[in-house]
Amino acid sequence: MQKRIVTMLTAMSLMLPAVALAASGDALFLQSCGACHKKGGKAAIVNPADKAGTVWEKYFARGRHPGDMGMSDADLQSVIKYLVAHAADSDQPAAAVIPK
Amino acid sequence: MKKILLTAGALLAWTSCAVAGAGGQSVVSIPAEDYKAILERLDTLQKRVDQMEKAESPSAKATSAAMPSKLAKDVETIYDTLDKVETKTLKDRISLGAELRTRADFFKVKNNANLSPGSLVEEHNDNHWSNRFRLNLDSEIQKNLLFTGRVTAYKNFNNNASNIYANDSNAAHIPGDTGLKLDRAYVDWIPEGMPIPLALTFGRHPSSEGPPSELKENRLRQSTYPSLLFDGESDGVVATVGLERYLGWKNSGIRFAWGKTYQDTNTSVAYMDTYGGAVDDSNVFAAFFETEIPGVRDSLLVLSALRANDLTANNYYLGNSAATSANNIGNMDLYGIHVQANNVADSGFDIFLSTGLNKTHPSGTIGYDTNGSIATLEGTAGLMNNDGTTSHTGWAVHTGLRYNIPYKPWNNPKVGFEYNHGSDYWFNFTWGSAELYNKLATRGDAYDFYYIQPFNDNLFGRLGYTHIDYNYSNSGLHIGDFGESTAELDNLYFLLDVRF
Ligand code: HEC
Repeated sequence: MQKRIVTMLTAMSLMLPAVALAASGDALFLQSCGACHKKGGKAAIVNPADKAGTVWEKYFARGRHPGDMGMSDADLQSVIKYLVAHAADSDQPAAAVIPK
Repeated sequence: MKKILLTAGALLAWTSCAVAGAGGQSVVSIPAEDYKAILERLDTLQKRVDQMEKAESPSAKATSAAMPSKLAKDVETIYDTLDKVETKTLKDRISLGAELRTRADFFKVKNNANLSPGSLVEEHNDNHWSNRFRLNLDSEIQKNLLFTGRVTAYKNFNNNASNIYANDSNAAHIPGDTGLKLDRAYVDWIPEGMPIPLALTFGRHPSSEGPPSELKENRLRQSTYPSLLFDGESDGVVATVGLERYLGWKNSGIRFAWGKTYQDTNTSVAYMDTYGGAVDDSNVFAAFFETEIPGVRDSLLVLSALRANDLTANNYYLGNSAATSANNIGNMDLYGIHVQANNVADSGFDIFLSTGLNKTHPSGTIGYDTNGSIATLEGTAGLMNNDGTTSHTGWAVHTGLRYNIPYKPWNNPKVGFEYNHGSDYWFNFTWGSAELYNKLATRGDAYDFYYIQPFNDNLFGRLGYTHIDYNYSNSGLHIGDFGESTAELDNLYFLLDVRF
């Protein structure tokens, strides 16, 4: 039994260092929207939970965003996907809050 | 302004008449062209003034006056409706959500002494159907004051009896009657103007189904604490200091928690202890450090240290009625390391490794009569001993992975495997486990396979198989020392879960 556990632990620990950073929706959102929407930036901070998922989709489909965001359409689409996944009506994690 | 211009115009008109009527008398004469030009100029000015006055008006009426009347009327109606909707929304202080789960378990137990007191059952098969309803509540009361709550009704099919193993820490996680149980109700408060980022969380905590249970539950993190160490309902206070500002590590923080696992109260005087009662309250003090692992997206590291003082027989698997002499039987330390990474390197694999270590500091025994709900506990028993003095150390490991199958037509199903091992004297505080057999308390080996089939964003099914080999008896119980076990448990189950 001990041997089995050790093998399992080794396998798991081998997988961890293989982790790499890819440009996720999360990173893209911070990078692109965050360029203007940040503390002391051109516009106030935006949060995916500010709107419900379909409201985000409609917001961009109707071209309601003021001015040019300087983003490619593909990038905007993956940010919208991220916004919808973390929107006000999406699943939210639950744990005692960690203040920033 | 308008008036002045009109007056000036009238004056001019009168003067020009006078001039004409004077028959060449030389007063002041204006050539006809100039006169016309002045009148035209006046006209334009008048129009401009009218326009300016319209634009300056703050009233919606003035704006809509410029619109076609149908549109103007529609806008008025929309404004009126929005006022009503906004007022109603602002009055809805709580958002509601719900969950419903129907589950069927098919159990097989072998060589089990516990289920049928006094005799060893060689084999027993059973099926078990249950419904669980949860009502979820949340509210952003203010920007820095958040409320979250959940009430649960969890019952077996066509059975409205409360469960004898139900206690304050698992009432919402063990099938019983149709009544709603308070699962969690807590407030996160981040006081403003603090020199350090500080939050207080108080109430009935999010302390059940912690990491990594969310993988199997097909949802996001549900508890502050790793489920290998603590899984159950709990009342207490947690102070959390955010460290991201200082360390630069995402979501890092240190928590100090205090709670009670038992509070002595006199049943007839709700606000006081039994006079001269022999049993002290059980207090739990804990510290946790957690962070996203630097450089590993969507990961979690939790270091835990917990001390439970003055443990009793109360509030655990045994009802008070079984104890003939209630007593405090000692203290327990519990330590843990939890590491988890979701969608590792975009491979679709979620992996975790959780370890635990416990040590007892015994101080006495309790007595049980023969009517005790667990027959092996006749006579006296202490904290994982029978003499009230022997100390023990236990350990456990819980590891596993989940693969998210990238097959869109089937809504990306998930397959998972978990394994956990607990030593002979392993003990954790997991009475509220979503697995009715308290899998992570196993003193032995547990193997767990599952397949999750999402049908849409709100509905999924899970098919699972669990096998447990017990090496030591009374897993999940901190009272008594009852030796080796050859018990086995197999469970094949399926469930349907709706969340909205
Ligand atoms: C080039 C700078 C820039 C970028 C990039 C940008 N925004 Fe904006 N955004 C603005 C400005 C400027 C406003 C108007 C702010 C105001 O009116 O106060 C705005 C307004 C908004 C609003 C309306 C704010 C409100 O309170 O109603 C939303 C929502 C929004 N942005 C979302 C986004 C999202 C999501 C992204 C990324 C996909 C994004 N923005 C990218 C500059 C930007």
